[in-house]
Amino acid sequence: MRHVRVGLVVPSSNVTVEHEMPLLLRRHESATFSFHASRMRMAKVSPSQLAAMNAQRERCVIELGDSDPDVMLYACLVALMAAGPGEHQRVEHLVAEQLAAGGSRALVRSSAGALVEGLRALGARRIGLVTPYMEPLARTVVAYLEHEGFEVPQWRALEVEDNREVGRIAGHRVMAAARSLALEGLDALVISACVQMPSLDLVEPAEAEFGLPVLSAATAGAYSVLRAVGLPPALPAAGRLLRPDAASPAA
Amino acid sequence: MTGVWFLDVPENRPIVDVVAQDPTVRVTRVGPYFGVESDGAIVIDRRSTGVRHAVWYSCVAGLSVSRITQWDKDALRVEAR
Amino acid sequence: MTDLTGRHLVRGVDHAAFPTFDPAGTVTFYRDVLGLPVVHSICAAGWGPEDHPDFIHFFFDIGNGDRIAFFYYFGLERPERLDRGDSFAQFGSDVPEYFVRSRHLALHVDSEEALLEYRRRLDASSWPVEMQLQHETIESIYTHDPNGYFFEITRALRPVTPQEDLDANLTIDALVDIVSRPGHTLDDLLARKAELIVERAGAWQEQQDAVRQNITQPSGVHA
Repeated sequence: MRHVRVGLVVPSSNVTVEHEMPLLLRRHESATFSFHASRMRMAKVSPSQLAAMNAQRERCVIELGDSDPDVMLYACLVALMAAGPGEHQRVEHLVAEQLAAGGSRALVRSSAGALVEGLRALGARRIGLVTPYMEPLARTVVAYLEHEGFEVPQWRALEVEDNREVGRIAGHRVMAAARSLALEGLDALVISACVQMPSLDLVEPAEAEFGLPVLSAATAGAYSVLRAVGLPPALPAAGRLLRPDAASPAA
Repeated sequence: MTGVWFLDVPENRPIVDVVAQDPTVRVTRVGPYFGVESDGAIVIDRRSTGVRHAVWYSCVAGLSVSRITQWDKDALRVEAR
Repeated sequence: MTDLTGRHLVRGVDHAAFPTFDPAGTVTFYRDVLGLPVVHSICAAGWGPEDHPDFIHFFFDIGNGDRIAFFYYFGLERPERLDRGDSFAQFGSDVPEYFVRSRHLALHVDSEEALLEYRRRLDASSWPVEMQLQHETIESIYTHDPNGYFFEITRALRPVTPQEDLDANLTIDALVDIVSRPGHTLDDLLARKAELIVERAGAWQEQQDAVRQNITQPSGVHA
């Protein structure tokens, strides 16, 4: 059975991505995965702390490069989206260049790019969004996705600034926010546009309740990692995006 | 017969002007080149041309059945092969 | 889709890279003395099959978006210096100076004022101009950078003329024709080039004249 090493660049206060990504990927039927994380200091999800965190990216990539990962996921969506349109392409390019300069063959993805990739794979145009962020930051995320060609007519910001708090947001609050959206006419719902807000267990129930494809930063990240390493992007109980019988998505 | 070619660029003009005054040479033109022919040796005095060293030492474009027998700070001398 | 076959597609130097054992001197020379901004850097380690040390790859803007780049490898010993050379290559005293200097980087400026401004900056630094020379159609200043790399800044004394492009092509065709002959000399090249002048220069001129005719006398327009 093939083994895949996944490097994760995570904010230091994040506790969710290292929990949800293994939960997801261990369901894969034809590969095993190990996870190797490097952390960037960040406690509050504020523009200044996000900028300070990005400055630590190069060190994280150096540390993870030593573990010879097959793929590296920059697992902070808002850090990239807050920097302005197209940032995930710029950062993925810089990390890839850094790795290639040292002879690493690791592939590079980001949760910001993965969400865009997942939404496109579902063929979604009009989407709904639940975020834990303060409203100004949530608006930035909405604008970022609009720049990528999506319409975001419905979104909610739970206004939790302390990132440790974000990791403790209860599922019923997330579902309540989702229920408050007018979902008619939407192609997909992003139940959590944040790798720190726990949401994996909500994806399948939300799809059942709302009757549309539901994805999260984590399921999109898993999808992107699987596609990057050339494995079938199929995992049980992780929503339409990763459903084994789903029609193969558009590239 | 002796034949030497110079490209027509401003830097080379003083060289061609000097050699053209020699009654024993004929100056012809093929495209952007001056062809300088003579039944005997062709000799050009460097000082009388007044060109810089870099120009002097890169002025020759071609030799028709001829060879350079002197090319120094004093003169360029071309003779039949 | 546009057919790119046979087209000249490259657009200048993306970057030219050199190793350095003196990153502080290199930054002083290129950024502080010459005023070339630092535009990019990469921190990386040797992750590939070639197990090289941690390193910094850093870039200076040399105009037009082109860049000169350096590698600084942590802990890498400078090779034992022979008589002459630079951080990349060393040469013994048997190697002539013209050969050592033959490989170099020349940056372009548009005017005499710009050339003299860089001369002023270098002369006020630890790396003063070593020579200022007028070649046939260019004028250049030279120094060695902190790594021993021979460094030139140059300006054109006049634009290159079309006949110089023809001449360059005839020279190179002549060189390619004679270079396989044993013991070939400049004399062989000039003899071969005279043949090429006779063969091709007349036709080239007619073509140039025809092009000029078309430009100066557009059809149907007469004063």
